[in-house]
Amino acid sequence: MSPTQSAILILSVMVAAYVAAKLIKVSTELALFLAAVVGALAGGYGFPVRHLAEGAITYLDICLIFLTATLFMNLLKEAGGVAFAVRAILKKFHKRKSMLFLLLVFLLLVPGALTGAGSVTVLITGSLVAVVLKYMGLEETRVAAIIFLIAGLSAAAPPVSLWAMLTAAGINMPYVGFFLPLLVPCLLGALLTIFFLGRKARPVDIEKALAELPLPPEKMNWWRLGLPFAAFLVLVLAGRIFPFNFPILGLPLIFALTAAVTVLISPVRVNLWKISLATAEQLLPLVGTLTCVGVLVQVMTLTGVRGLISVSVVTLPATVVIASLFLTLPLSEAVLMWGAAPVLGVPLVLLFNTRGLDPVVALAGMSLIWPLGDALPPTAIIGRLTVDTVGVRDRYSSFLKMCLVPAIIIAVMGMLMVIFSKKLSFLAIF
Amino acid sequence: MKNLLLLRKTILAAAFLTVFLFSGLSFYHSRHLKEPVVVGDGLLEVKKLSHYFPGLKGSINDANVYVLGKEKASEGEGAALVLGGSHPEEPAGRLASWLLVENARLEKGRLFVILTANPSASTSTRPGGAYPPDYEIPTPWGRQKFRQGDRWSNPLDQWPDPEVYIHYPSRQQLAYMDIRNQNRTWPGRPGGTMTEKTCYAMTQLIIKEKIDLVVDLHEAELQYPVISTIVAHQKGEDLAALASMMISSEEGFNIGVEYSPVALRGLSHREIGDHTPAVPLLLETPEPFLDATRGKTDRSLLLTGKDEFVMKAGRHGLLFEKLDENGWPIDVRVGRHLSSIIQIFKVWTELHPDRPIQVENLPRYAEVISRGTGYYLKNPALTPSGRLFYE
Repeated sequence: MSPTQSAILILSVMVAAYVAAKLIKVSTELALFLAAVVGALAGGYGFPVRHLAEGAITYLDICLIFLTATLFMNLLKEAGGVAFAVRAILKKFHKRKSMLFLLLVFLLLVPGALTGAGSVTVLITGSLVAVVLKYMGLEETRVAAIIFLIAGLSAAAPPVSLWAMLTAAGINMPYVGFFLPLLVPCLLGALLTIFFLGRKARPVDIEKALAELPLPPEKMNWWRLGLPFAAFLVLVLAGRIFPFNFPILGLPLIFALTAAVTVLISPVRVNLWKISLATAEQLLPLVGTLTCVGVLVQVMTLTGVRGLISVSVVTLPATVVIASLFLTLPLSEAVLMWGAAPVLGVPLVLLFNTRGLDPVVALAGMSLIWPLGDALPPTAIIGRLTVDTVGVRDRYSSFLKMCLVPAIIIAVMGMLMVIFSKKLSFLAIF
Repeated sequence: MKNLLLLRKTILAAAFLTVFLFSGLSFYHSRHLKEPVVVGDGLLEVKKLSHYFPGLKGSINDANVYVLGKEKASEGEGAALVLGGSHPEEPAGRLASWLLVENARLEKGRLFVILTANPSASTSTRPGGAYPPDYEIPTPWGRQKFRQGDRWSNPLDQWPDPEVYIHYPSRQQLAYMDIRNQNRTWPGRPGGTMTEKTCYAMTQLIIKEKIDLVVDLHEAELQYPVISTIVAHQKGEDLAALASMMISSEEGFNIGVEYSPVALRGLSHREIGDHTPAVPLLLETPEPFLDATRGKTDRSLLLTGKDEFVMKAGRHGLLFEKLDENGWPIDVRVGRHLSSIIQIFKVWTELHPDRPIQVENLPRYAEVISRGTGYYLKNPALTPSGRLFYE
């Protein structure tokens, strides 16, 4: 059997195992794990414990960032900080729709941009922004679509864009020069999304909204709200400004310290233990999926399936590759989540580089398209999370339909960035 | 219902413990695998890197430094440093330096060889990369096992990474994990991370031992443009160009020359040249095992360099080096490194007759291909303990 036939066979067996597991209602993460184990068996590797364990820790650092960042945001929410911010924004801007939209975009972009995870945006600011948008007369599916799409863009936005980081690492390219190529389209996409989907919004009935929104503790103020963010910024900037004198803390510890500041200055007593447990439980599906995706990628690499997929994509004519990015990237994301970056991102960027495109801008454009796949089955983690958080009672397909137009605009924007990457390379300055 | 849940939890816990135990044993064995080095007649002494920078003492990266030469080398003779295993996942570099230490004799000058310049990186494999933990080279007396290793220092020895790595002293921003990449942390700093300290120790070695020439041995994926080449600091441009011509005419293979970009910081071919009197050269051979489009990731691919998928990428013009059904066998890659070293020393001596470095008894490209790398590895079982060292 040739290597190609063997890899096709193993891939088919893995897909069959995944589908079978889903049919008998096994969770997505366990289905991914089973597909990996079956793939290893089909490849003649038996039960390769070393590879399973090694694959499982592939995204350990990212899981730690998720856990600590979400803990920080949950503590801030518990301390009344998020409610305070939303109420203050509503009071100030309830008559000015455009200004309100701008602020909501900011609130939605920040958590994901800092952590690289759209789920953090959905979980932390998503629920409160949803309340505001509902008060503006928007139906639930529309609100969910706004939050999902901007959450995806927040994950792609700088400073932490995991798709760009993972792909850049795979081709030994410094994660440098991505700030503007990511920031500009993410901001543009987020504004387009909220203004397009929110075009039918009405001014907020401030009395009703304030009565329904949770009341922050009396002693909560801008200082108490801003100090944890200031601590985060100081710790990040200290590492950048004094890199040879300041100890390397790493993002998980920085978020943990930020969380500690939140607890220390909280106007109310927060139960750290209880919130930590709730955070771990809240993130269990996400961490589980990331762990199992790591195992799956390891087995795909071991058996040659990853090579088969990579080489099949990169050997298509370049125009076909670019023209199909709006399909291949979201679909790969739907199956592999961040695992799509090393599997597809690496060979695609190498291909674009050999065709004379700018790798930084092209990768930034691709990073814009990838998150759209987070609403698609089989994983659909962020999509499901958003629908649950907003409380959508309609069918999941109506949520997907609502996402369609802005998603197409975002995908086209990403593809144009790839096509005109050379001309846009002036953006890649820091 | 409660019993069912307990049963489920017990089964999952048992499955986890099984994977944990057996994979843990595998990782432990990899990290502690002892690789024998049978030093040849040309050895003067074996030092530790901490001899040059005590701050490295007790660290896993306190590497062995093998010093080759004659007992009474003349003061005026030259000195070279050869680095293998800056990236241990590139085995030709380590194996070529192994053959140097086990076989070479210095007629003139002194030769310092570090077989594993980043020992920490040799103790782990890449998550998601599905690397084999080790590989074996057949020899006339059996098979010798080597650790596979990774590109980056083991996170067990250096963790966490910053969100962005800022290179010392240039302050250039690099990918976060490259703070564990030994070919991004030159010239190093005494108060830095373990990887930076290792580079600092080697920089001190270069300065204190008055090293004239540094040769850093690497391999590259075929989709990477810097391949089958000598990368030279501007101080070594003539040397590299002449060596390339000599290699092409005398050794039976072609090798290009690239000049070290001034803006790309942290690499040996840039920083050693900028921060020490030595001339740094970096050698790259092709290693299809590193390509993202590779097929089955196993020992066979590592040692034969044969891969149908990478070949397909080549047919579509995506490679910077040819790949056919003959692959890139390890003997070819090791032989290229050794012949390149021989010719570089030869040209160096011609250009600098006052600082000669003359090496003998080192197998060349054609010999390594015809007899195999293992032919030149000595049997540790027949070696007196004084001549046996471990990496």
